[in-house]
Amino acid sequence: MTAGNPSISPAGRLRRVELRRYWRQLNAESRWGVVILALILVLSVSVPLLSPNDPYGFVDQPLQPPSAAFLFGTDHLGRDLLVRVFAAARLDIALAILGVSVPIVIGTFIGTLAGTTRNRIAETIWDGLVNALTAFPEIILVLGIVAMVGADIRGLLIAIWISRWAQYARIARAKSLALRDAEFVQAAQVLGYSQLRILVRHIMPNVFSEALAYALSDFIFIIVIIGGLSFLGLGVTPPTPEWGAMLAEGRLYLRTEPWLILFPGFFLSLTAIGVALLARGLERISKGEDE
Amino acid sequence: MTSSPGGIGARTLPLLRHPVLRRLAQAFFVAFLLMVFAFLLIRLIPGDPAMILLGDEATEEDVIAYRKLLGIDGSIPSQFGRYVSNLVRGDFGVSIRSREPVLSIVGKRLPVSLWLTVTTIVMTIGLALPLGVAAALYRRTWFGHAFQIGASVLVATPVFFSGLLLILLFAVQVNLAPIAGYHAGFPANLYYLWLPALTINFVLVPVLARILQSSIVETSAEEFVEAAIIRGTQGWRFYWRYLLRPSLAPTIAALGYFAATVVSYAVIIEIIFNLPGLGMTLVDAVRNRDYPLVQGIVFLSGLLVVGLTFMADLVNGWLDPRAQIR
Repeated sequence: MTAGNPSISPAGRLRRVELRRYWRQLNAESRWGVVILALILVLSVSVPLLSPNDPYGFVDQPLQPPSAAFLFGTDHLGRDLLVRVFAAARLDIALAILGVSVPIVIGTFIGTLAGTTRNRIAETIWDGLVNALTAFPEIILVLGIVAMVGADIRGLLIAIWISRWAQYARIARAKSLALRDAEFVQAAQVLGYSQLRILVRHIMPNVFSEALAYALSDFIFIIVIIGGLSFLGLGVTPPTPEWGAMLAEGRLYLRTEPWLILFPGFFLSLTAIGVALLARGLERISKGEDE
Repeated sequence: MTSSPGGIGARTLPLLRHPVLRRLAQAFFVAFLLMVFAFLLIRLIPGDPAMILLGDEATEEDVIAYRKLLGIDGSIPSQFGRYVSNLVRGDFGVSIRSREPVLSIVGKRLPVSLWLTVTTIVMTIGLALPLGVAAALYRRTWFGHAFQIGASVLVATPVFFSGLLLILLFAVQVNLAPIAGYHAGFPANLYYLWLPALTINFVLVPVLARILQSSIVETSAEEFVEAAIIRGTQGWRFYWRYLLRPSLAPTIAALGYFAATVVSYAVIIEIIFNLPGLGMTLVDAVRNRDYPLVQGIVFLSGLLVVGLTFMADLVNGWLDPRAQIR
């Protein structure tokens, strides 16, 4: 199942030989994904670091078209768009990773717990709960929670955490239903390990790989939600550089200065496309339908 | 979205052995839980909502009146009891801002959103069916590869970016659509709706066409397809009866599943294209901290999706008799 997803495992320090071996296992799609993501990560670290311009600071006349001095031009307040686009990359990617990481842990734990009980009534109620939570249109539920908790970064993250765990729970439950009678689980029971230990140490690691595969597509969705809510003015708010918020600002100059939306939109899409390619490539490797 | 076969329902109540009735019972149970979630939503507010809305200088009477308005006076169980009995009677509370009943606000704004949804789905079917079939039939040619790459790119492009690009292309460069806005009335409103609908379909069509493609590929390996070819079945009858119809079930199920996504994206689309629908109402309500209105719209949107999923299930049973046996 998990033959070839090295790049999403918490790799720690890999030796170069091992990296090369992993690279060889990848197919064209996932390689493109890795290249795109690596490029964006490198740029998002290096551009704000190397550029003399500050993402918040006024540098020149507002609304200048792209030029040699300002590769992406300047925005409506005369700030360097290049620096802002890549400063935004840092924030968006960091927020999306934060957004994915909490639901995956909570959801996998709850789902594994639900998958290992053998109580029919609990199962029925469980089904209803997950179906109900996933019935809410995602963005509407996030908006609803943000309305209550507060329209800022904190509120946005809380909303994502509350609304995104159910899918992981669903995946974990399906997988652990199959695992609860596996021999190694029975062995652990015979050894007298506690329920919690069996759950956390024996079943969850096996469930986690599938959850990680889903996390990649969830990452795309969450980065779109973060951008989307900020676009609506209900997440990250100006002057903080964030792709969605920048699109909302640039939208006012659509007719005359389209580069204000083209650059942030392009890199937001490129990030999502990179993750999508990686996810699809890995999925095909694990299914064994490789070229 | 199915429960484990033979959950408690099928055992205790023989009536629930009928698949349609069981689905219906499940749908009602889920709707009840939606109500619980919507009720809990307002309890996420940190602190006293009445104080947040009124500020520090509020008088005691004002606070009490606001608590009553928000349905947060009395004990939690009695609040919930009142909330449920009000909902069942069609009372969704009153907007804090305009003091208008939530249901009448929704009723006024719903037509725009419904028109957007209908236009989107008609367009989805019109685009996804031929694309999916073509991608399945020509999957080993350049078209199949281009389809795969194009689909990956389109799915990952956020609607608020592709929407702006489409406005740039069709409304600014070529004058085929308005930049934003809406006018009611049937044929005229399509002029305002086709571009927003196309934007949503930039995400929806690739997903559905891909699902259709892979299920057609699966179907074509079945024995009854081979048998039909051997019997000499040809033309439309072959494509519809033996290839397309048995392959449609997963696509329809996905359409039901993605109903939530369509409704989701419609919120952002309505803001981009300035369509005065429910999405715009919701965003305004979030900005104004109009808690009852937010709560009402969140609940109704969930209810809508449950209804659509249920309908998709029914259509599926009709399309693919194999699905009914289970």
